[in-house]
Amino acid sequence: MNDADDVANNNGRRRLWMMFSGIGIIMISGAISGYLSQRGAEGDGPLNTLDVSILGIFAAVILLLAFAIWRLFQQTQQSGERVPRREKLNNRIIWGCGIFGGIIGLVLTLTDNIGTANEPSLFASGPISPVLAVILAGAIGVVLPAITFYWHKHVVDEQEDAAYRAGALIAIYAFWFIAPVWWFLWRGGILPSPNGVALYFMTAFIALIVWFWKKYR
Amino acid sequence: MKNQLKVLRAMRSWSQADLGEHLDVSRQAVNAIETGKYDPSLPLAFKISRLFALPIEEIFDDEFEGAHNE
Repeated sequence: MNDADDVANNNGRRRLWMMFSGIGIIMISGAISGYLSQRGAEGDGPLNTLDVSILGIFAAVILLLAFAIWRLFQQTQQSGERVPRREKLNNRIIWGCGIFGGIIGLVLTLTDNIGTANEPSLFASGPISPVLAVILAGAIGVVLPAITFYWHKHVVDEQEDAAYRAGALIAIYAFWFIAPVWWFLWRGGILPSPNGVALYFMTAFIALIVWFWKKYR
Repeated sequence: MKNQLKVLRAMRSWSQADLGEHLDVSRQAVNAIETGKYDPSLPLAFKISRLFALPIEEIFDDEFEGAHNE
């Protein structure tokens, strides 16, 4: 392994930390939103010292994570890493979709809870405004499929393609087995009724983890 | 599958990214092939063979002993 390979490996780790930091920002934003909603639902007055302290800590962690992303991005840019053309395009699309997904996640997290007593949850299924619903449906149903088609047709190489297929196979088997198990356990009064959103996220998450493992290990 | 890709690459002082550029694949693909975690398709194996001007069987070793035992 030569120096250029070491640089590339270090940048790979930096990108991973940037991704985790981004997810952290979304989760902490959700926590802030949930905290404010809970206060609103309980009919409390203006923020007291404790509230300000808690929200200040959340905000400080968000700033810290944002700073970490910025620093890691700078280090990546300054490393002089040579990236193959196809990989460069791939990285751009992944980052673009990641930011796009992050914005959607952030919008959902914030709009799901503010002014309501809803618990902040990934599986929230409360009402949203029709305009937001159409925008999100268009983003997921039109924009992302178009990007995905282009990505698989022109950007993904055969190793990544194999990683996707492995992820899809394991995810569909997980769905096939877990959904009926949950259904039977619900009928037996052991578990609450099956949650389609939870099953969707579980399937997507398994596919993502396997893809990531196969591509980057 | 064992292979000589890392050696052949080192002989040309190429990084994994350089080889990826030549083969139009990602650095992760080159790494996965080198470490035997991913076996390339036949078209990619031929591309590698042409790039290094070597027969496929001199680059890749499937450890098949059948021919010697016959």
